[in-house]
Amino acid sequence: MPMYQVKPINGSEIKIDLPTCMYKLPNVHAQASSCSEHALQNGELDPAVAALELRQDEIMRRLYELKAAVEGLAKTVTTPDADLDVTVTSLSQSPTSTAFRGTSDLDSLLGKDLGALRDVVINASPTRPPLTLLVLHGLLCQRYRVLSTVHVHSSVAAVPPALLSCLGPQHADSYTRQRFQLGFTLIWKDVPKLQMKFSVQNMCPIEGEANVARFLFRLLSPYPSEPALATLIDSWVDTAFLQLAEGSTKERATVLRALNSSLGQEPWLAGPELSLADIACYCCVRQTCSSTPANVQRWLKACDNLGHFSSTLPLLQ
Amino acid sequence: MTKDGVQGAGEEEQAQSKKGLKKQQKEAEKAAKKAEKQAKLAEQQTTEEDDFAKDRYGVPPMVQSQQKLDRALVRIQDLTPEMADQLIWLRARIHTSRAKGKQCFLVLRQQQFNIQALVAVGDRASKQMVKFAANINKESIVDVEALVKKVDQKIESCSQQDVELFVERIFVISQAEPRLPLQLDDAVRPDGEGDEDGRATVNQDTKLDNRVIDLRTTTSQAVFRLQSGVCKLFRDTLTTKGFVEIQTPKIISAASEGGANVFTVSYFKTSAYLAQSPQLYKQMCICADFDKVFCVGPVFRAEDSNTHRHLTEFVGLDIEMAFNYHYHEVIESITDTMVQIFKGLRDNFQTEIQTVNRQYPSEPFRFLEPTLRLKYREGLTMLREAGVEMGDEEDLSTPNEKLLGRLVKEKYDTDFYVLDKYPLAVRPFYTMPDPSDSKYSNSYDMFMRGEEILSGAQRIHDASLLTERATHHSIDLEKIKAYIDSFRYGAPPHAGGGIGLERVCMLYLGLHNVRQTSMFPRDPKRLTP
Repeated sequence: MPMYQVKPINGSEIKIDLPTCMYKLPNVHAQASSCSEHALQNGELDPAVAALELRQDEIMRRLYELKAAVEGLAKTVTTPDADLDVTVTSLSQSPTSTAFRGTSDLDSLLGKDLGALRDVVINASPTRPPLTLLVLHGLLCQRYRVLSTVHVHSSVAAVPPALLSCLGPQHADSYTRQRFQLGFTLIWKDVPKLQMKFSVQNMCPIEGEANVARFLFRLLSPYPSEPALATLIDSWVDTAFLQLAEGSTKERATVLRALNSSLGQEPWLAGPELSLADIACYCCVRQTCSSTPANVQRWLKACDNLGHFSSTLPLLQ
Repeated sequence: MTKDGVQGAGEEEQAQSKKGLKKQQKEAEKAAKKAEKQAKLAEQQTTEEDDFAKDRYGVPPMVQSQQKLDRALVRIQDLTPEMADQLIWLRARIHTSRAKGKQCFLVLRQQQFNIQALVAVGDRASKQMVKFAANINKESIVDVEALVKKVDQKIESCSQQDVELFVERIFVISQAEPRLPLQLDDAVRPDGEGDEDGRATVNQDTKLDNRVIDLRTTTSQAVFRLQSGVCKLFRDTLTTKGFVEIQTPKIISAASEGGANVFTVSYFKTSAYLAQSPQLYKQMCICADFDKVFCVGPVFRAEDSNTHRHLTEFVGLDIEMAFNYHYHEVIESITDTMVQIFKGLRDNFQTEIQTVNRQYPSEPFRFLEPTLRLKYREGLTMLREAGVEMGDEEDLSTPNEKLLGRLVKEKYDTDFYVLDKYPLAVRPFYTMPDPSDSKYSNSYDMFMRGEEILSGAQRIHDASLLTERATHHSIDLEKIKAYIDSFRYGAPPHAGGGIGLERVCMLYLGLHNVRQTSMFPRDPKRLTP
């Protein structure tokens, strides 16, 4: 302690006769001084403080571990040419912890759980299968317990078998609907524009594949809080659906050039991480463009490596 | 006959029908007078001039099968431009006739098809023949020999729009009375239209009182052709699935679901009941190793309810099926059957559907394949979100059923869905309880346009559990002893359900009254015709 020590002016022990009819309180001064002295002298810590420190250390240690794990994962995921085994990542997530997180997430994202399945209904035309949504469905399935069903609406006469099985095999537990967190109901229907209906009471139907994709992606991960990045992602998504999917050959070529230059600087379209921009552009490029420039080709391959896009492959032919 | 709801909103039905009767009488008198006048006029004009076409028209002797003519009668629907310039014979009804000087236009009708025919004075027809043709009463049946001619302008009022007939001979096979209790054109007029033009519409009771004539209308023809289609599709689909059709007795010794709502008939020295459903017999067939059975037959309900969807006798389409492990196997089988029926109707009965829609406009029936299956609790949640307050174990009331139908239609755009896992408390005693939650049961309802058409469940195939549930419902065990006993000697797990044919047709076509799809409806107030 960097201060002078002064000897007590009085003798340390003064005897006072106290009446016994009163409550006894410990002498504050005497105790404090003796304690600090004791601590100083012996260089020991209060056991309570020690325990606290220990706990904090433990928490820090676990945080560091977690950070390291996440960084490791991020490296493998975001490095475009990393050779990644898909099955390992999907298995590495322990089901209980994700499930728990999922429930709380969905509650905060979609409002209170009312005791029934939250069913996302998507009406899509079989002439234009929504590949982006199928990819997002795959990602949702990794995150939540999703009950996915495919229906054919009476306005459509016949649907190719590939489209009927596009959401994968039926879940073994499909007869117990309450065990699922999220319903994903895809209805092949004669609609001019893809349509999503979720909460009929509070939401109007959402039209357009891009908008539905944005909604679904937000269930997976929050949008970047930085406005510039969020806008960039939105703009890529719009470009994909308006110019790649529906545009003329000329427009497509322009977009491919833009993609190529953007991908020359960053591994993914919106910075260092995979985002909705990549998913949307990937699907539209695969659907419409036959030849692509070098950077785009590398990026396409990187996407393929991730394995999220495998569900779209049977529909691409 | 204007609509009688205008004045008599508060009046009793009897008064209304009296009024209707009076009106009818008046109209009849008018018509009779008119006919008289016309007859007089005809007499006056009939001169004794020589009729060269005497053999070309007339009323031949009644067909008593005296001779077997080798004459091919053509169907009206086959009269297309390809048949132009051919001389053909056909038999049809006179739908309308309109005389104009030396010409007489007839509309000949055969079931839901009609064609325009023309009798004109010329080298084939005389003046008298035209007059004769003009005076044939409506709805009479005639044999006509005629030349098929193409027309320049489409005939909008007929089903055969591209051709007309030039009549060469016309014979009345069966003469109708001059006065009809109701006009066919009035009976097919859409509800709103009559009011605007001040033209008549016919109300439901008048139609049902004269069902034979009402059944001749294009709408009725289409409805019952479609109904026959439903039956056929039901049979065909189930037969290909390996079902066996059974016939069960309708006179039974004990009421299967409590004695309150069954008809009692005297049976020699004792009394018997009319079957409410073939439930018992279907289940007995399952216990007798028939595995998958269905049954099409009359079902009787003695409920004194006068609603738009209740009849006291209707045709029940009943299914019962043994399953392997889960009763959803049965639901899938039933819903698939329904979807096949809907698809068959959509693909093969488009003309009929459109004919009915002309009088009773409705949205086309929409469905999903595979059929949407919701849990009862999900349904409740949807209703609660819409602001309906309901208890967990409460049964759906009719308005709530309809509301839920609307909500489901809004979200999934389907008119047909299944509601699964009803509360045990609202189902009959033989319903299997849900293994995971004893408040619920393995039972389901199917809905079309928000109205229930099928009620089914997994049945209890274990005699002791069945006894327990029956006691819980305080049912006299003595009375259902035979039923319980049939499960004592090994019974496979099974489930099933029963559909009302009339309801299916009504809801598929979007009609508003089940009497429209029952050929001779029976309800607490109607026993004839």
